[in-house]
Amino acid sequence: MGFGLPWALAGLVAVSIPILAHLLRRQKLPRQTLPTIAFLHRIHATRAARLRVVDMLLLIARVLLIAALVLVAAAPYRVVQSNLLDRQHALAIVLDDSMSMAAIHEGKTLIERAAELSTEQVNNLPGGSEVSVVLSGKSPRVWVRRRSDLEMVETVFNEIDRRSTRGDAMCDAVQTAVELLLESELPDRRLLVFSDFAEGTRAESCEWPSRGIRVAFETVSTPDPDNRRIASVEVIGARDAPGGMRLDVRIAGTSTQSQQTVRMRQKGQETQKASVERTADGAEASLSIGPGSTDAVVELQLDPDDVLPADNVRGVLLGSDTVHVLLVDGDPHPDPRKRETAFLSHALGVAPRIGRSFAVETLDAQDLSESAIIRSDVVVMANATLDEKWLPLIRRFVGGGGSLWITAGDRVNPRAYGSVLRELLPGRYTATRMEARPLSLRSKALPELDQAKVHGRTPIAEVSLNAVVTARFSDGAAAMLEHRYRNGRVAMMATTIDDAWTDLPYQPVFVPFVLDTLLRLAGRTEHSVEPHGSVSLPGSTQSQRIQVVTPTGRTVDLGEADRVAFRDTGEIGAYRVLVNGVNGARFAFVVDAPPAESDLVSRGAPELESRFEAVTLDASSGVEQPLAPWLLLLVVALLFSELWLRQIRRR
Amino acid sequence: MTHVLEPELAVRLAGLTFRAKRTVDGLLAGMHRSPHRGASAIFKEHRAYRPGDDPRWIDWRAYARSDRYTIKHFEHETQLRGTLALDISPSMHWGSDDVSKIDHAATLLAAIAYLLTRQGDAVSLVTFDEKIRDRLPARSGPAHLDYLMRTLAEPTPPSGQTALHASLDKLIEHAGRMGLVVIASDLLDLDNEALDPIARIEARGHQTIVLHVLDPAELELPYEQPMHFEGLEGELPVEVDPKGLRRQYREAIDAFVESCQRRVVAAGARYLLARTDTPPEHTLLQLLRDG
Repeated sequence: MGFGLPWALAGLVAVSIPILAHLLRRQKLPRQTLPTIAFLHRIHATRAARLRVVDMLLLIARVLLIAALVLVAAAPYRVVQSNLLDRQHALAIVLDDSMSMAAIHEGKTLIERAAELSTEQVNNLPGGSEVSVVLSGKSPRVWVRRRSDLEMVETVFNEIDRRSTRGDAMCDAVQTAVELLLESELPDRRLLVFSDFAEGTRAESCEWPSRGIRVAFETVSTPDPDNRRIASVEVIGARDAPGGMRLDVRIAGTSTQSQQTVRMRQKGQETQKASVERTADGAEASLSIGPGSTDAVVELQLDPDDVLPADNVRGVLLGSDTVHVLLVDGDPHPDPRKRETAFLSHALGVAPRIGRSFAVETLDAQDLSESAIIRSDVVVMANATLDEKWLPLIRRFVGGGGSLWITAGDRVNPRAYGSVLRELLPGRYTATRMEARPLSLRSKALPELDQAKVHGRTPIAEVSLNAVVTARFSDGAAAMLEHRYRNGRVAMMATTIDDAWTDLPYQPVFVPFVLDTLLRLAGRTEHSVEPHGSVSLPGSTQSQRIQVVTPTGRTVDLGEADRVAFRDTGEIGAYRVLVNGVNGARFAFVVDAPPAESDLVSRGAPELESRFEAVTLDASSGVEQPLAPWLLLLVVALLFSELWLRQIRRR
Repeated sequence: MTHVLEPELAVRLAGLTFRAKRTVDGLLAGMHRSPHRGASAIFKEHRAYRPGDDPRWIDWRAYARSDRYTIKHFEHETQLRGTLALDISPSMHWGSDDVSKIDHAATLLAAIAYLLTRQGDAVSLVTFDEKIRDRLPARSGPAHLDYLMRTLAEPTPPSGQTALHASLDKLIEHAGRMGLVVIASDLLDLDNEALDPIARIEARGHQTIVLHVLDPAELELPYEQPMHFEGLEGELPVEVDPKGLRRQYREAIDAFVESCQRRVVAAGARYLLARTDTPPEHTLLQLLRDG
C-alpha cells in the first residue's frame, strides 16, 4: 500500500479534535441548579448506560470519519499483482533514441536492445490492450499512437533509427506518453521507460505521473562506457596564408584503444591523418591544410570506432568567418587603378585581419551572374547601371539574407533605380547635382568622416520609415542610409565610392568606413547546428540549382523557394552546399554531436519515490489500485452512523 | 424578598372578598356563618339532643310540647381562623427568573392574609421545611398583619430537606379545628405518604387549599445544551443533555403534578398549580372564583 500524496497524512493529527472535544466537553459543562433534579436522576438512570455506549460509538465514528477523510486526501492505493496476460492494459513505452543509445554492446546498439525488450512487452499483452510508443530523442515523437493492433506495433520497432544522433528530451516524451495514457479508457495504465539513463537523460527533473499510472524503468546500458569524442577543433592560420592552416584537434573521454588516429576527409576523400597523442588534459592531434584550399569544410574522423561511433566524427568550417564581397563595377576601365571599385578593392586588400576576413570578387556590371551573386554575402553596386533582368535575383538574394550596397555615380539613373528597386531601397535617388561649395560628411560612429569633402551627389529623398541614416552631408541631407529588407540589408550612398565626386577615398577614414559598412551589412550566420536542427538555405530556381551534400556524401536537391528550412541534418559532420554544382562556401555548415550524449556512464533509473517499484519486465507486475473510492464509501457510511447515533442519543 | 405584597397588587385585591364556604369555628362575630348555637335571630333547625351537647342550648319549649330534648340551632356569623403554611425548604428558594418560588408563594399567602385581615378574620402563619420553623398565632388586626408580612418576607432560613409528612402533621396541631388552611409548597417530597396529612387536616373540619408552586423551568426543562445539573437538597449531581431527555422529563414532571393534584383532591382539599410565571392575582382570582 502507498499514498499518492503522503504529506496529506499529516492531517491525521485532526483525529485528536473529537477526542479533545469529548474530554473538554466533559470538563467544561455549564453548571445549573435544578430542584427537580430527582426526576432527571430517574430518567437518566435508565439512559446512562446506553448513553455511555452511544457516546463512545459517536466518538469512534467521528475519529474514524476524520481519519477516513484524511486518508482519502492522501490518495491511497494498493499494489496488486496483475498478470499482463490476464488484464488489458494501456501501455505507453518511452524509448530513448538519443545518441547515447546508439552505443554498441555485443554487436547491437542499445536502441536495438530496448526495441527487443519493448517487443517482448508488447508480445505479453493480452488482446485488446493499447500500445503507444514515444521516442524521447530530441525532438520527441509519437512513434505509435494508441494502437490495439499489437502485431503491427511489433513491426514498427524495427523502423526506429538504430544509429540515432539525437539529443535527449526525456521529460517532454514522458509528458506526451502520459497524455496518451490518460486518453485511454482502459483502467490499467503502465508507463515503461527504456533508457540508458546516462548523464544527458536528466530523468530526475521530469514530472513523473503520481497517480493512476504505474511507472517502470528499464536501464539499457553498456557495461563498457569507455568512449572518446572529438571535443573541439581549433583552426589556426588562413586559407590563403603562406603556411596554410593547422587544425588542432582535442579528444575527450576515455578509451581502451591503445592507438587512435584522426583522419581528415575533404569532399569524401581522405587527405590526411594524424596519431592521437595523450596529453595532460586528455588527448589531441594536429592536422594541416596547405595554402590555396578552396574547401569551405573538412571532416575529421576518429579511428578506430569505439562503442559510440557517432561522436567520432566532426565537421570543421574553414574560414567560416570570411565575408564574401562581390564588387559590381559600373564604370570599368582597362587600368585597374581607374576602375570605380579600385579604391574599395584596395581598402579591402589592406584591411587589417581582425575578426572576419573578406573574400573579394570583382565583376563588370555586364558580367554579373546569378551564381556570383548567390555565392556572396554582400554585393556592392558601384555606379552600376541597373538592368531590370537582375531584379528578381537581387530581390531573392536580399530576401534570403544577402546584403546590397548601392553607391552613386554618373551612371546611376535615379529614375531607373526608383522604378526597378523601389521596394528594396531605403530611399529614392533624385537628380544628380554638383555642389558649388564642397560639403563635408557627418557621422556619429565615424567622426573622422568630416575630413572628407564632397562636391557631387545624387541626393536621397523619401527615406523609408525603418531606414537608419549612418552619415549625413553638412547641409543635413542623408549621405548614407540603410534598412532591412526581409532577411537582408540594403544600403544607399549619395556620392561615389571612388574619387569622382569626393576625396573620401583619400582620407584615412575611408578604410574604417568601408569595413564598418561591409561588416554591418554582412551580419553573422549560424553555421553549426544540432542534429535534426533546421538550417536556412536559399532554395533552387529555374536558373539556379541548390544542392546539399551530407557528410555521408548523399546529395539533397532543395526545392524551389526563396528560402528553405533544411532539416535533413541527422548526420553528424560537414555539409557542403552546391550552387549549380559549384561549391557555395558561404552556405556550408556543420552538424555537431550533442556533447552530453557522449557520456555513456549510466546513472541508473531515477531514484524517485517508493511508488516506483523496481522494474519487472516479466508478465506479472504490480498495478496501483486506488483505494479512495472504498474510503469514500466508508466516509458515507460513517456519516450515516454518526447521524443515526445522534438520533439515538436524543431519544 | 423585599416586597412581599406589592402595593399595586394590594389595591387590585382591595375589592375582593374572601368567604369561606364552610362554617368555621370562631369566637368573634364576623361575616362567616357559624354552626354554633348563638343569639342570632336567624333560626336554622331543630335536632335531637346528643350527649355532649351543651344543655344550655336545649329548647325547653319544644321539650314541653314533645317531651323530647331538642336542640335549637341558629345561624351565627363567626370570625374565620386562617392558617397559612409556607414551605421554606432550599428548593423553594430557587427560580429560573428573578422571582423565586418562595417569593411567589409568599406573595400569594400575603395577599390571602391581607384579605382575611381586612374582613376581620384571624390569620396564623407556619413556615416549615423538615419541621415547623416559624409559628405565628392566629390574630387579626393591622399590627398582626404587619408582623405576619415581615415573617413572610424574612422567614427563618432553611436548614433541611423538605419533609412534608412530618411538617403537615405538626401543622394539624397548630391549626386547631374547622378553619382555613392554605399550604404553599413545591411538594418536592417524593415520599408516597408525604401528602397523607392533608386528609387528616380535612378531617378536622378545615377547608384546605394547596398551592403547588413550581417554576416554568421545572415544568419544561428548557435548557438546550448538555449541562452539569446540581440539586438543592443534597441530591447527587448529574450531567445530561436536556434535549435528549426533555420529553421523558416532561412526562415525569406532568405525572408528578397530576399525582399531587389527585392525592390532594382525594383528601378533600383544593389543589391549585401556581406557576411563578403566572401573575399572583390570576391565581388568587381563580381561587376565589372557583370558590
